[in-house]
Amino acid sequence: MASDRQYLILTNNPLVKTCMDGRYAIRFFADLSLRDILVKARDMVYEGHELYTHPLAGSVKPNETPYKSVVVSRTAGQMQADQAEIMANSIVACDKFAPRHRELSQKVREDFQLIDYTLLSGALGFDAAAGLSNACNKK
Amino acid sequence: MKLELGFIQIKDIQFSKECKVENGTLYVNADEVKDFVFKDDDVKACVKAAHFDIAKPGESVRITPVKDVIEPRVKVEGPGGEFPGVIAKVDTVGSGKTHVLRGMAVVTAGKIVGFQEGVIDMSGPGADYTPFSKLLNLVLVCEPVEGVHQHEYEHAVRIAGLRAATFVGELGRAVTPDDTQEFETYGIKEGIEKFPDLPRVAYVHMLQSQGLLHDTYVYGVDAKRSLTTIIYPTETMDGAILSGNCVSACDKNTTYHHQNNPVVADLFAQHGKTLNYVCNIITNENVYLADKMRSSDWSAKLCRLLDLDGVIVSQEGFGNPDTDLIMNTKKIEQMGVKTTIITDEYAGQDGKSQSLADADPLADAVVTGGNANEVIILPAMDKVIGTLDYVDKIAGGHAGSLRPDGTIEAELQVITGATNEMGFNCLSAR
Repeated sequence: MASDRQYLILTNNPLVKTCMDGRYAIRFFADLSLRDILVKARDMVYEGHELYTHPLAGSVKPNETPYKSVVVSRTAGQMQADQAEIMANSIVACDKFAPRHRELSQKVREDFQLIDYTLLSGALGFDAAAGLSNACNKK
Repeated sequence: MKLELGFIQIKDIQFSKECKVENGTLYVNADEVKDFVFKDDDVKACVKAAHFDIAKPGESVRITPVKDVIEPRVKVEGPGGEFPGVIAKVDTVGSGKTHVLRGMAVVTAGKIVGFQEGVIDMSGPGADYTPFSKLLNLVLVCEPVEGVHQHEYEHAVRIAGLRAATFVGELGRAVTPDDTQEFETYGIKEGIEKFPDLPRVAYVHMLQSQGLLHDTYVYGVDAKRSLTTIIYPTETMDGAILSGNCVSACDKNTTYHHQNNPVVADLFAQHGKTLNYVCNIITNENVYLADKMRSSDWSAKLCRLLDLDGVIVSQEGFGNPDTDLIMNTKKIEQMGVKTTIITDEYAGQDGKSQSLADADPLADAVVTGGNANEVIILPAMDKVIGTLDYVDKIAGGHAGSLRPDGTIEAELQVITGATNEMGFNCLSAR
């Protein structure tokens, strides 16, 4: 695995910010959609940032959850074609789901945040439960 | 390794004062099963209430949200016990004799998260799309203790289902099976000597392993923590692999699917006739890209080491696993081993979009389980086991999916097992 210091998390998930801030470099975009996060990650991969996690992590569908976290490298090197292809395909895959217009309750939002956060934790080898406890203590 | 399965055909389930299997009827005292389920500390701590219900084929019943489906079994001869590493102690299963209560399942239902999914209709058009509408289902509906964490609760409900299935399976211990079948694969050298002219074929079984609610357990080990490895097909048939996957109802592999994997069944049917079924290769579907590289490298390496001629590759899930599927297939083909993949499709509601999130010219032999985006109307049922509260939130449902009369308009995604990627389903182009 790459060093923790190389990770840059692109996310619109507030739980990721709350639980992982201080441990990893995080760019938090409260107002961006799931698709916007994918586009941001794609652009950075085109610029030569390395892609560390799969952008379609989770079987929760892109038109279901509003939250997405993708990990790229903090520094840019040579653009990798296979990673650029994964990013491009993910955006195509995202776009084929019919948009839904519905209000999510706070409880459901929190569950979606939790899934995104735990999948990310699993990928980075971060202790998700400890992160949640720390976040509670901070409050 | 040789396994004998003794099938006890269950023709009816009834609640009763005592628990027994007699003349093909399963009699269940729900309180006794519940007592056994609640003897587990995690279940006790996390599950506030649980109740049993029975759903039979043809009834106007909807079960939702479904977590897992499990076939009750009991080990009557040989090493190990049911669900080794989780319920029974860790010991290699897949040999000896196991009794199977055929024609029925234990289904766990109830909310885990606020978008919990999975529908089994016992009649009507929805029933045609799920294999579980044809079973007698003993449904365990659970409710969480207030404030319990989702990951603890998922674990507790998983254990509750497995314990209920273990209790029910035990009732078949002394019953004489209606039918008995044997399954055997051989050591490498032995297999080559027995079938020198047959192509050597294995099954690359990809296990969902992305994280919370997306897990699979092998002898109790979370598959994401394992490197790609080899397992006897009969171990899979004997409860070594369990589902912890609560997401994407249509293409998740429930524990029942693992116990009755159709790829394993079909390869055994051809074993010694048209092919030499060598083994299963189990590999994971992690989120971290370097894990994907490593696991697929190992899949390909093992295929070469085993001198295989061909493999069948099945995946579980959508999106992220498509990348593992293509990495596995490409690398195995590059080793000179032929591949055929089984997947389902997310081709859009009109079926015109690209089906997978990844592709490669070497992945040119594909079997599809169907288009998960296809829209279906499920008429109201007289009775709901579980709750309809989450139907508007689930994959493939949308705001307004649940109409006031109880009709559901949704994508096939909502139906448990509809587009299963082992091919265990009812969809066909015929």
